Amino acid sequence: MPQHRWDDDEKLLADLADALRPVTPLANRVAEQAGGALAWRTVDADLQLATLSFDSATEPVGSSRDANGGNRVLVFHCSPLSVEVELQGDRLLGQLVPGSSGEVTLEAADGTQVRARADEMGFFLVAAMPSGAIRLQCETATAKLVTAWFQP
Amino acid sequence: MVDDINISISTLVTAAAGGDQAAWNDIVGRYSPLLVAVLRQCRLSSADTEDVAQTVWLRLVEHLETLRQAKALPSWIVTTARREAWRQAAAGRRVLARDPGTGEWARLAADVDAPEDTVLVAERQQALLSGLAELGGRDRELLLLFLEDPPPSYAAISRRTGIPIGGIGPTRARALAKLRRTTAMQNFRASETDRPETTTGAMR
Repeated sequence: MPQHRWDDDEKLLADLADALRPVTPLANRVAEQAGGALAWRTVDADLQLATLSFDSATEPVGSSRDANGGNRVLVFHCSPLSVEVELQGDRLLGQLVPGSSGEVTLEAADGTQVRARADEMGFFLVAAMPSGAIRLQCETATAKLVTAWFQP
Repeated sequence: MVDDINISISTLVTAAAGGDQAAWNDIVGRYSPLLVAVLRQCRLSSADTEDVAQTVWLRLVEHLETLRQAKALPSWIVTTARREAWRQAAAGRRVLARDPGTGEWARLAADVDAPEDTVLVAERQQALLSGLAELGGRDRELLLLFLEDPPPSYAAISRRTGIPIGGIGPTRARALAKLRRTTAMQNFRASETDRPETTTGAMR
Protein backbone atom coordinates (compact mmCIF):
# COMPACT_ATOMS: atom_id res chain seq x y z
CA MET A 1 0.00 0.00 0.00
CA PRO A 2 1.46 3.38 -0.94
CA GLN A 3 2.22 5.95 1.74
CA HIS A 4 -0.97 7.80 2.61
CA ARG A 5 -1.28 11.38 3.77
CA TRP A 6 -3.14 10.14 6.85
CA ASP A 7 -0.24 7.88 7.90
CA ASP A 8 1.36 11.09 9.19
CA ASP A 9 0.02 12.17 12.59
CA GLU A 10 0.34 15.90 11.95
CA LYS A 11 -1.34 15.74 8.55
CA LEU A 12 -4.14 13.55 9.85
CA LEU A 13 -4.74 15.96 12.72
CA ALA A 14 -4.67 18.92 10.29
CA ASP A 15 -7.27 17.29 8.03
CA LEU A 16 -9.36 16.43 11.08
CA ALA A 17 -9.25 20.10 12.11
CA ASP A 18 -10.30 21.17 8.58
CA ALA A 19 -13.21 18.73 8.72
CA LEU A 20 -14.38 19.59 12.23
CA ARG A 21 -13.83 23.31 12.79
CA PRO A 22 -16.32 24.64 10.20
CA VAL A 23 -19.16 22.55 11.66
CA THR A 24 -18.39 22.71 15.39
CA PRO A 25 -20.51 25.69 16.56
CA LEU A 26 -23.59 24.54 14.65
CA ALA A 27 -23.03 20.87 15.61
CA ASN A 28 -22.86 21.84 19.30
CA ARG A 29 -26.15 23.71 19.00
CA VAL A 30 -27.76 20.83 17.10
CA ALA A 31 -26.60 18.29 19.71
CA GLU A 32 -27.94 20.46 22.53
CA GLN A 33 -31.33 20.80 20.83
CA ALA A 34 -31.46 17.06 20.11
CA GLY A 35 -31.36 16.02 23.76
CA GLY A 36 -35.12 16.23 24.20
CA ALA A 37 -35.86 14.13 21.10
CA LEU A 38 -35.54 10.90 23.08
CA ALA A 39 -38.66 11.86 25.05
CA TRP A 40 -40.63 11.17 21.83
CA ARG A 41 -39.65 7.51 21.91
CA THR A 42 -42.76 5.48 21.17
CA VAL A 43 -43.39 2.80 23.75
CA ASP A 44 -46.93 1.91 22.65
CA ALA A 45 -46.64 -1.42 20.81
CA ASP A 46 -50.10 -0.97 19.22
CA LEU A 47 -49.08 2.32 17.62
CA GLN A 48 -48.05 1.81 14.00
CA LEU A 49 -45.47 4.05 12.33
CA ALA A 50 -46.79 5.52 9.08
CA THR A 51 -43.84 6.31 6.82
CA LEU A 52 -43.76 9.14 4.30
CA SER A 53 -44.61 7.56 0.95
CA PHE A 54 -45.36 10.66 -1.13
CA ASP A 55 -44.30 14.31 -0.96
CA SER A 56 -45.40 16.60 -3.78
CA ALA A 57 -42.44 18.93 -3.04
CA THR A 58 -39.99 16.36 -4.37
CA GLU A 59 -42.03 15.38 -7.43
CA PRO A 60 -40.80 16.38 -10.89
CA VAL A 61 -41.90 19.61 -12.50
CA GLY A 62 -45.27 19.56 -14.26
CA SER A 63 -46.44 16.43 -12.45
CA SER A 64 -48.68 15.97 -9.43
CA ARG A 65 -46.67 18.57 -7.50
CA ASP A 66 -48.59 21.25 -9.41
CA ALA A 67 -52.00 19.88 -8.45
CA ASN A 68 -53.91 21.25 -5.41
CA GLY A 69 -53.13 24.83 -6.35
CA GLY A 70 -49.45 24.32 -5.62
CA ASN A 71 -50.09 23.34 -2.00
CA ARG A 72 -47.76 20.69 -0.66
CA VAL A 73 -49.31 17.25 -0.26
CA LEU A 74 -47.84 14.45 1.83
CA VAL A 75 -48.98 10.86 2.24
CA PHE A 76 -48.03 8.71 5.21
CA HIS A 77 -48.68 5.05 4.73
CA CYS A 78 -49.13 2.02 6.90
CA SER A 79 -51.61 -0.81 6.99
CA PRO A 80 -54.60 -0.71 7.43
CA LEU A 81 -54.77 3.07 7.91
CA SER A 82 -53.02 5.86 6.01
CA VAL A 83 -53.20 9.62 6.24
CA GLU A 84 -52.95 12.28 3.54
CA VAL A 85 -52.26 15.91 4.40
CA GLU A 86 -52.30 19.13 2.41
CA LEU A 87 -50.45 22.16 3.77
CA GLN A 88 -52.30 25.44 3.18
CA GLY A 89 -50.17 28.16 4.71
CA ASP A 90 -50.39 27.56 8.46
CA ARG A 91 -53.43 25.30 8.05
CA LEU A 92 -53.22 21.57 7.69
CA LEU A 93 -56.06 19.75 5.92
CA GLY A 94 -55.95 15.97 6.30
CA GLN A 95 -57.82 12.82 5.48
CA LEU A 96 -57.66 9.36 7.00
CA VAL A 97 -57.70 6.64 4.34
CA PRO A 98 -59.89 4.60 4.22
CA GLY A 99 -62.27 7.34 5.37
CA SER A 100 -63.44 6.92 8.92
CA SER A 101 -64.04 9.13 11.92
CA GLY A 102 -61.37 9.38 14.57
CA GLU A 103 -59.22 11.52 16.80
CA VAL A 104 -56.14 13.29 15.45
CA THR A 105 -53.42 14.86 17.57
CA LEU A 106 -50.79 17.04 15.96
CA GLU A 107 -47.60 16.92 18.03
CA ALA A 108 -44.80 19.45 17.67
CA ALA A 109 -41.25 18.70 18.78
CA ASP A 110 -41.48 21.48 21.40
CA GLY A 111 -44.30 19.60 23.13
CA THR A 112 -47.21 21.60 21.70
CA GLN A 113 -50.27 19.46 20.97
CA VAL A 114 -53.24 20.40 18.79
CA ARG A 115 -56.27 18.11 18.68
CA ALA A 116 -58.69 17.70 15.80
CA ARG A 117 -61.61 15.44 15.03
CA ALA A 118 -61.87 13.51 11.76
CA ASP A 119 -65.41 13.29 10.34
CA GLU A 120 -67.02 10.13 8.89
CA MET A 121 -65.19 10.74 5.58
CA GLY A 122 -61.92 10.93 7.49
CA PHE A 123 -61.42 14.69 6.92
CA PHE A 124 -59.84 16.85 9.61
CA LEU A 125 -58.44 20.36 9.87
CA VAL A 126 -55.72 21.88 12.03
CA ALA A 127 -56.20 25.63 11.82
CA ALA A 128 -52.94 26.91 13.34
CA MET A 129 -49.90 24.72 12.94
CA PRO A 130 -47.03 25.21 15.38
CA SER A 131 -43.56 25.76 13.90
CA GLY A 132 -40.77 23.20 13.66
CA ALA A 133 -40.99 19.46 13.16
CA ILE A 134 -44.43 17.91 13.62
CA ARG A 135 -46.13 14.51 13.44
CA LEU A 136 -49.71 13.28 13.61
CA GLN A 137 -51.20 10.64 15.87
CA CYS A 138 -54.43 9.27 14.46
CA GLU A 139 -56.80 6.89 16.18
CA THR A 140 -59.95 5.33 14.75
CA ALA A 141 -62.15 2.62 16.20
CA THR A 142 -59.93 -0.04 14.63
CA ALA A 143 -56.45 1.43 14.09
CA LYS A 144 -53.86 3.68 15.66
CA LEU A 145 -50.95 5.27 13.81
CA VAL A 146 -48.27 7.89 14.26
CA THR A 147 -46.67 9.51 11.22
CA ALA A 148 -42.95 10.01 10.72
CA TRP A 149 -41.75 13.46 11.80
CA PHE A 150 -41.70 16.12 9.09
CA GLN A 151 -41.06 19.81 8.59
CA PRO A 152 -44.22 21.46 7.23
CA MET B 1 -10.25 -2.97 17.98
CA VAL B 2 -12.70 -2.22 15.21
CA ASP B 3 -15.08 -4.68 16.85
CA ASP B 4 -14.67 -2.95 20.22
CA ILE B 5 -15.58 0.34 18.60
CA ASN B 6 -18.68 -1.11 16.99
CA ILE B 7 -19.71 -2.77 20.22
CA SER B 8 -19.57 0.55 22.02
CA ILE B 9 -21.79 2.25 19.41
CA SER B 10 -24.27 -0.62 19.39
CA THR B 11 -24.33 -0.55 23.19
CA LEU B 12 -25.25 3.13 23.00
CA VAL B 13 -27.97 2.46 20.41
CA THR B 14 -29.47 -0.35 22.49
CA ALA B 15 -29.35 1.73 25.67
CA ALA B 16 -30.95 4.73 23.96
CA ALA B 17 -33.66 2.48 22.51
CA GLY B 18 -34.41 1.54 26.12
CA GLY B 19 -34.76 5.20 27.10
CA ASP B 20 -31.24 5.87 28.44
CA GLN B 21 -30.85 9.66 28.14
CA ALA B 22 -27.07 9.66 28.71
CA ALA B 23 -26.58 7.16 25.88
CA TRP B 24 -28.76 9.28 23.59
CA ASN B 25 -26.81 12.44 24.47
CA ASP B 26 -23.60 10.55 23.68
CA ILE B 27 -24.94 9.49 20.26
CA VAL B 28 -26.03 13.00 19.25
CA GLY B 29 -22.78 14.48 20.61
CA ARG B 30 -20.71 12.04 18.56
CA TYR B 31 -22.68 12.27 15.31
CA SER B 32 -23.89 15.89 15.17
CA PRO B 33 -20.66 17.04 13.43
CA LEU B 34 -21.19 14.41 10.70
CA LEU B 35 -24.89 15.33 10.39
CA VAL B 36 -24.16 19.07 10.16
CA ALA B 37 -21.35 18.47 7.64
CA VAL B 38 -23.68 16.51 5.34
CA LEU B 39 -26.44 19.13 5.60
CA ARG B 40 -23.99 21.94 4.88
CA GLN B 41 -22.62 19.96 1.91
CA CYS B 42 -26.22 20.02 0.63
CA ARG B 43 -25.92 23.84 0.84
CA LEU B 44 -28.59 24.33 3.48
CA SER B 45 -28.54 27.57 5.45
CA SER B 46 -27.76 27.45 9.19
CA ALA B 47 -31.47 27.83 10.04
CA ASP B 48 -32.51 25.06 7.62
CA THR B 49 -29.66 22.89 8.92
CA GLU B 50 -31.00 23.20 12.47
CA ASP B 51 -34.55 22.38 11.32
CA VAL B 52 -33.55 19.35 9.26
CA ALA B 53 -31.15 18.11 11.95
CA GLN B 54 -34.07 18.15 14.37
CA THR B 55 -36.12 16.05 11.95
CA VAL B 56 -33.27 13.57 11.47
CA TRP B 57 -32.75 13.08 15.22
CA LEU B 58 -36.49 12.66 15.79
CA ARG B 59 -36.57 10.09 12.97
CA LEU B 60 -33.64 8.29 14.57
CA VAL B 61 -35.59 8.02 17.84
CA GLU B 62 -38.30 6.24 15.82
CA HIS B 63 -35.71 3.90 14.32
CA LEU B 64 -33.55 3.03 17.34
CA GLU B 65 -35.42 -0.23 17.82
CA THR B 66 -35.00 -1.34 14.21
CA LEU B 67 -31.41 -0.10 13.84
CA ARG B 68 -29.93 -3.33 15.11
CA GLN B 69 -26.53 -3.03 13.51
CA ALA B 70 -24.39 -0.24 14.87
CA LYS B 71 -22.42 -0.02 11.65
CA ALA B 72 -25.65 1.00 9.90
CA LEU B 73 -25.93 4.17 12.02
CA PRO B 74 -23.55 6.53 10.14
CA SER B 75 -24.89 5.57 6.72
CA TRP B 76 -28.46 5.87 8.02
CA ILE B 77 -27.64 9.39 9.25
CA VAL B 78 -26.00 10.40 5.95
CA THR B 79 -28.81 8.98 3.79
CA THR B 80 -31.61 10.45 5.90
CA ALA B 81 -29.87 13.82 6.12
CA ARG B 82 -29.43 14.05 2.33
CA ARG B 83 -33.01 13.07 1.62
CA GLU B 84 -34.47 15.49 4.18
CA ALA B 85 -32.14 18.30 3.03
CA TRP B 86 -33.39 17.82 -0.49
CA ARG B 87 -36.99 17.82 0.74
CA GLN B 88 -36.45 21.01 2.77
CA ALA B 89 -34.83 22.78 -0.17
CA ALA B 90 -37.52 21.64 -2.59
CA ALA B 91 -40.38 22.59 -0.25
CA GLY B 92 -38.90 25.96 0.63
CA ARG B 93 -37.81 27.16 -2.78
CA ARG B 94 -40.60 26.11 -5.08
CA VAL B 95 -39.89 28.58 -7.87
CA LEU B 96 -36.32 27.39 -8.26
CA ALA B 97 -37.36 23.77 -7.84
CA ARG B 98 -39.77 24.15 -10.74
CA ASP B 99 -37.11 25.44 -13.08
CA PRO B 100 -36.37 22.50 -15.38
CA GLY B 101 -33.09 24.06 -16.43
CA THR B 102 -31.18 23.84 -13.17
CA GLY B 103 -31.15 20.15 -12.30
CA GLU B 104 -30.11 21.40 -8.88
CA TRP B 105 -32.33 19.09 -6.87
CA ALA B 106 -31.35 15.89 -8.58
CA ARG B 107 -27.74 16.83 -7.92
CA LEU B 108 -28.38 17.52 -4.25
CA ALA B 109 -30.13 14.19 -3.90
CA ALA B 110 -27.66 11.99 -5.69
CA ASP B 111 -24.43 14.00 -5.84
CA VAL B 112 -24.47 13.42 -9.59
CA ASP B 113 -22.91 16.09 -11.80
CA ALA B 114 -21.05 17.59 -8.84
CA PRO B 115 -17.39 18.14 -9.67
CA GLU B 116 -15.43 15.10 -8.56
CA ASP B 117 -13.14 17.04 -6.23
CA THR B 118 -16.20 18.44 -4.43
CA VAL B 119 -17.52 14.91 -3.93
CA LEU B 120 -14.12 13.71 -2.73
CA VAL B 121 -13.67 16.54 -0.24
CA ALA B 122 -17.19 15.82 1.05
CA GLU B 123 -16.45 12.09 1.38
CA ARG B 124 -13.15 12.79 3.17
CA GLN B 125 -14.89 15.09 5.61
CA GLN B 126 -17.58 12.45 6.26
CA ALA B 127 -14.96 9.70 6.77
CA LEU B 128 -12.97 11.80 9.25
CA LEU B 129 -16.03 12.90 11.25
CA SER B 130 -17.57 9.44 11.18
CA GLY B 131 -14.27 7.91 12.31
CA LEU B 132 -14.00 10.45 15.13
CA ALA B 133 -17.55 9.56 16.23
CA GLU B 134 -16.56 5.88 16.51
CA LEU B 135 -13.74 6.59 18.94
CA GLY B 136 -14.28 5.89 22.62
CA GLY B 137 -14.77 8.79 25.01
CA ARG B 138 -11.22 9.46 26.25
CA ASP B 139 -9.58 9.13 22.84
CA ARG B 140 -12.14 11.41 21.24
CA GLU B 141 -11.95 13.97 24.05
CA LEU B 142 -8.16 14.15 23.76
CA LEU B 143 -8.27 14.63 19.98
CA LEU B 144 -10.99 17.27 20.33
CA LEU B 145 -8.66 19.22 22.65
CA PHE B 146 -5.95 19.18 19.97
CA LEU B 147 -8.52 20.39 17.43
CA GLU B 148 -9.42 23.50 19.41
CA ASP B 149 -8.47 26.73 17.70
CA PRO B 150 -5.84 27.61 18.81
CA PRO B 151 -4.77 24.24 20.30
CA PRO B 152 -4.16 24.43 24.05
CA SER B 153 -0.64 23.91 25.44
CA TYR B 154 0.46 20.46 26.68
CA ALA B 155 0.32 21.88 30.22
CA ALA B 156 -3.31 22.93 29.72
CA ILE B 157 -4.18 19.57 28.16
CA SER B 158 -2.53 17.82 31.10
CA ARG B 159 -4.60 19.87 33.55
CA ARG B 160 -7.84 19.13 31.69
CA THR B 161 -7.28 15.41 31.12
CA GLY B 162 -5.16 14.37 34.08
CA ILE B 163 -2.65 12.82 31.67
CA PRO B 164 0.95 13.67 32.69
CA ILE B 165 2.65 16.00 30.16
CA GLY B 166 5.08 13.26 29.13
CA GLY B 167 2.18 10.92 28.36
CA ILE B 168 0.24 13.28 26.11
CA GLY B 169 2.30 12.71 22.93
CA PRO B 170 2.11 8.89 23.11
CA THR B 171 -1.59 8.99 24.09
CA ARG B 172 -2.34 11.24 21.13
CA ALA B 173 -0.42 8.89 18.81
CA ARG B 174 -2.43 5.91 20.11
CA ALA B 175 -5.72 7.79 19.64
CA LEU B 176 -4.79 8.68 16.04
CA ALA B 177 -3.82 5.05 15.39
CA LYS B 178 -7.25 3.98 16.64
CA LEU B 179 -8.83 6.62 14.43
CA ARG B 180 -7.07 5.11 11.38
CA ARG B 181 -8.51 1.71 12.30
CA THR B 182 -12.14 2.87 12.61
CA THR B 183 -14.61 1.34 10.16
CA ALA B 184 -15.34 4.72 8.54
CA MET B 185 -11.65 5.51 7.92
CA GLN B 186 -10.85 1.98 6.73
CA ASN B 187 -13.79 1.99 4.32
CA PHE B 188 -12.75 5.35 2.92
CA ARG B 189 -9.15 4.24 2.41
CA ALA B 190 -10.40 1.08 0.70
CA SER B 191 -12.61 3.12 -1.64
CA GLU B 192 -9.67 5.40 -2.42
CA THR B 193 -7.58 2.54 -3.75
CA ASP B 194 -10.16 2.28 -6.55
CA ARG B 195 -9.09 5.79 -7.52
CA PRO B 196 -5.32 5.50 -7.68
CA GLU B 197 -4.78 9.10 -8.82
CA THR B 198 -6.18 10.35 -5.52
CA THR B 199 -4.38 7.96 -3.18
CA THR B 200 -1.66 10.41 -2.31
CA GLY B 201 -3.76 13.51 -2.99
CA ALA B 202 -3.69 16.24 -0.40
CA MET B 203 -6.91 17.44 1.12
CA ARG B 204 -5.96 21.04 0.55
